[in-house]
Amino acid sequence: MITIRRACAALALATLLAGCNRYQNVFGSDGSGSTNFTWLFTIFMAVTTFAYVLVLLFLGAALARRRGTHAVESGTHHQSTPALRTALIGWTAFVVVGLTVLGVASFVTDRLDAQPPREQQVSIKVTGKQWWWDVEYQGPTPDMNIRSPNELHLPVGVPVRIRLESQDVIHSFWVPNLAGKQDLIPGRVNDIMFVPHRTGLFRGQCAEFCGTQHANMALTVQVESKDDFRRWWARQLQPAQAPRTPEALAGYQFVTSRQCSSCHAISGTDAGGRVGPDLTHLASRRTIAAGTLPMSEGNLYGWVADPQSQKPGTKMPTIPMNSQQLRSVVAYLKGLQ
Amino acid sequence: MRLKHAWVHCCVAVAALAALGACEKKADQSSQQAAPTSSAPTRAASAAMPNDDGNWVMPGKDYASSRFSGLTEITPANVKGLGLAFTFSTGTTKGFEAPPLVVDGTMYVITPFPNYLYALDLTKDGAPAKWVFKPKPAAAAQGVACCDVVNRGAVYSDGKIFFNTLDGNTIAVDAKSGKQVWRTTLANIQKGETITMAPLVADGKVLVGNSGGEMGVRGWIAALDAGSGKLAWKAYNTGPDKDVLIGPDFKPYYAGEKGKDLGVKTWPADGWKIGGATVWGWISYDPELKLIYYGTSNPGPWNPEQRPGDNKWATGVFARDVSSGKARWFYQSTQHDLYDHDDINESILVDYPVGNQRIPALLRPGRNGFFYVMDRRNGRVIAATPYGFINAAKGVDLKSGRLIPVPEKEPKSGRVVRNICPAAPGMKDWNPAAFSPATGLVYIPHLNLCMDEGVMEANYIAGTPYVGAEVKMYAGPGGNRGVFTAWDPVQRKPRWEIKEDLPLFGPALATAGGLVFYGTMDGWFKAVDARDGKLLWRFKAGSGIIGQPISYRGPDGRQYVAVVAGVGGWAGAIVSANLDPRDPTAALGFVNAVKDLPDKTTAGGMLYVFRLPR
Amino acid sequence: MYSGSRASILIGAALILTVGACDREERHSRAKPLAENVPAGQSPDTVYPGGAPMPPLDPRATAYERNANALSQGQQLYMQMNCVGCHFHGGGGMGPALMDDEWRYGGRIDQIAASIAEGRPNGMPAWRDKLTSDQIWQIAAYVRSMSGQAPKDAVSSRADEVSNTEPMTQTKRETVRSADAAQR
Repeated sequence: MITIRRACAALALATLLAGCNRYQNVFGSDGSGSTNFTWLFTIFMAVTTFAYVLVLLFLGAALARRRGTHAVESGTHHQSTPALRTALIGWTAFVVVGLTVLGVASFVTDRLDAQPPREQQVSIKVTGKQWWWDVEYQGPTPDMNIRSPNELHLPVGVPVRIRLESQDVIHSFWVPNLAGKQDLIPGRVNDIMFVPHRTGLFRGQCAEFCGTQHANMALTVQVESKDDFRRWWARQLQPAQAPRTPEALAGYQFVTSRQCSSCHAISGTDAGGRVGPDLTHLASRRTIAAGTLPMSEGNLYGWVADPQSQKPGTKMPTIPMNSQQLRSVVAYLKGLQ
Repeated sequence: MRLKHAWVHCCVAVAALAALGACEKKADQSSQQAAPTSSAPTRAASAAMPNDDGNWVMPGKDYASSRFSGLTEITPANVKGLGLAFTFSTGTTKGFEAPPLVVDGTMYVITPFPNYLYALDLTKDGAPAKWVFKPKPAAAAQGVACCDVVNRGAVYSDGKIFFNTLDGNTIAVDAKSGKQVWRTTLANIQKGETITMAPLVADGKVLVGNSGGEMGVRGWIAALDAGSGKLAWKAYNTGPDKDVLIGPDFKPYYAGEKGKDLGVKTWPADGWKIGGATVWGWISYDPELKLIYYGTSNPGPWNPEQRPGDNKWATGVFARDVSSGKARWFYQSTQHDLYDHDDINESILVDYPVGNQRIPALLRPGRNGFFYVMDRRNGRVIAATPYGFINAAKGVDLKSGRLIPVPEKEPKSGRVVRNICPAAPGMKDWNPAAFSPATGLVYIPHLNLCMDEGVMEANYIAGTPYVGAEVKMYAGPGGNRGVFTAWDPVQRKPRWEIKEDLPLFGPALATAGGLVFYGTMDGWFKAVDARDGKLLWRFKAGSGIIGQPISYRGPDGRQYVAVVAGVGGWAGAIVSANLDPRDPTAALGFVNAVKDLPDKTTAGGMLYVFRLPR
Repeated sequence: MYSGSRASILIGAALILTVGACDREERHSRAKPLAENVPAGQSPDTVYPGGAPMPPLDPRATAYERNANALSQGQQLYMQMNCVGCHFHGGGGMGPALMDDEWRYGGRIDQIAASIAEGRPNGMPAWRDKLTSDQIWQIAAYVRSMSGQAPKDAVSSRADEVSNTEPMTQTKRETVRSADAAQR
């Protein structure tokens, strides 16, 4: 029978399971930061659950004893005191030990997370802008730097150090599967360091309210093998693919001479804007507009035609163009692999 | 008989001794005038040409860029009588940086935009204009010229006057008739390029460089054939070696300049394509070594965080072979420039005493505050000494050649760094110093400014500024914004200094008569004694002076001194462009430093020519 | 009982009051119909042969000046599109000063918008194809605010640039009284 009480219980249970997808999971231990956090969480849960159970047991015992002592009068007082005292001493000891364990565990986890990696690391700079992530990889020489907006690729097992800056308001970098949160504060350089342990695709998100589209400021993180990572980096270093069809050529001309080039950069062309994300390898990314839409030709149409309807308030304006121009622009953009 | 012989011998000996004594006396007299001892530098013998003190055919006077006139009629004793011979109104009111040229009785004046070229007939009373050449440059060029629409001068060679227009053309005009001989377009204003520099004619080639380091252009220097105007060679200052004309002849002295394609590797991807390193300043030439020497501008954008790396080949000095343009050596005076310390200042070619030798050297009062003495054969820095107050750099490491920066003064996005000295226009901006071989001193009109700088991300849109920084300048320690220093390049310290209230943004002239001339931004044209800096004469012109004074011998055989007064340039834009002093960041921060200038002078463009009374 | 109903009346009144704050201004993320057209040709203070007066200003244009979001967006665009590189924060440099009362090509908001869109002969670039009309109106509104023309409750109180200049809410600017009657 479906009573209100049962429905509420089921709902409560369901919400508990909401955090349990694979790619944006607080308990996913796919990186050193989240592994450390999961260990800490486990220790906390163990200690506090044990204390909780103990309290429940004591409560139960107290309730049970209460019923029993109606028959016995004060003559039995003396017999219960030593047991009670032992219990009290034991309980105090447990609390002291338990709190110490929690405190030490917390401190150790924090220090582990703060330790800079000693060996070779991937060095990344992420600048938070409303409402996208400007990711720049630092190569061994400056000409090897690449920009990869809204998408991080990381080699598995290699420590990564991310420098966090913001250009406008406070954002927060949060990829729960890999590490905890770290704020991006304008006027300040923060950093976060972790080691991804498992390959896979993960999702991160801005975790500090930063304006009207804070909810649509997601980050895709692909952890892959070292070879795949090197290949990806080499591909990102290439300039943009030249347009291959006449329609794409018309699109290229529109993009590099009209409003698009005021804000966007495409390597190898005259477009050098830095206000919006770099479009050189737009079509190779998984999402459009920081996770607002998955990458596909149809979504590109929808986005370019009217970004304000997809992500109202975003800084990209709705640019007036007729259907032919729209087709040619999308034909060019989807070729930017 | 023998006695007579003895007498004769005696007399001859005494006469000889007397003659020697006279010689010594003369030497004593000249040492009172601070004549150079054997340990003072001299103008480079090979480059001190043309050696014609009657004329002034190129802005630097000679290939050594000495700006020294050998005329001696006007001396400290008689200069107080100097008076106006004639004047000429150019009709422009923008910053006037060019010197007039004088060639055999005709004076040529090139104005700022619209770049009119006047020819004045000095043989007639009042020097009336013979003709005017109007190149009609595109008016839109005014919108992409960062620092007033100036022109730094024309040059005469082989019967033609060569000059550049703001919209990127180099023009050759027949010196007698005023008719155009050829015109070559070199720069593209749609990309933000302009040309403001004075060309140099060397080895039959007209050397031209572009401007636009604040507009995201790619800097280059080109050589045009002086007869036809056709391009002989063009060398970029950023990018792959084949564009920079770096080949097997390239032998820089320091290890940091050696490597393949450093013009690409020391920039982020594609950064070199919009990286600045323009050539808007001065070129010197050594006819013996056949090398031209010039400096490159700041890298673009001003925001250093957008261009990690050393940013070759910006803010450095190139030596190139004049006939092919191939680079011989390069020295970067400021790696990864943080403060817009362009290195386009003049290179004065001297023969410099080192021990018992004299080596071919060049002297550069650098924008970053260091006075460089370099061996011009290979680019080795012999000395780098601060000639003013610097707190943004600790010094120059002579082993590696690198500037040692101060980390606390590095601009970072999101915060303002305050009290950076020298400011963005540097210890000295474009205005060249003069070298007097008579005293051995370098006369440097320069600045004493500090600044606050904040950086933010610069957005690149071709034809618009690509800067990413905001600046506010103010007077440096002492409160005076300008200094005129007589620098001893061998002792490496100043011999004397004159503190000026306003920044000194105009060049100097030194004469063999023992005088140094320079102008101030509120219009005082001054003559000081070359030995001790005592002010001997001054004249208040109708507008501030940032132009170069010259001295020539007129058709009547007398010595004349000429200068054009027209305030402007980067420093004077508040007057010439009527800017608003309430915004301290205006004109890239200079407005804050000269907020009082509109009260002290007004815009103008008047030529003044002086001579002694009969 | 009696105090309970008074309490609930007070709470209800408070709630109604708070809801009243929710309509400070409208924000339109997509361009209003007017913004599709930045007028051309009405650029400088012109002589109209025949004696016809200058066309009146569309009230929808002045709405940009009173809209805080438009001024704030205009302020951002002014920096991003490098207006600040030539005009700085109103003082001028390569371009003329924008914070004073001298206008070469007219100081009415539609004249400023036309200058931005068409460019001007002495070096002002033409932005018609590089910005949307909505963005051009926003920048024009911001330019007007630099000379003190925009109401103080609409101008941005945060200066996006480095702290070398005061934010607009703090600055005292003389409001411009143009000699042209049409501009009042």
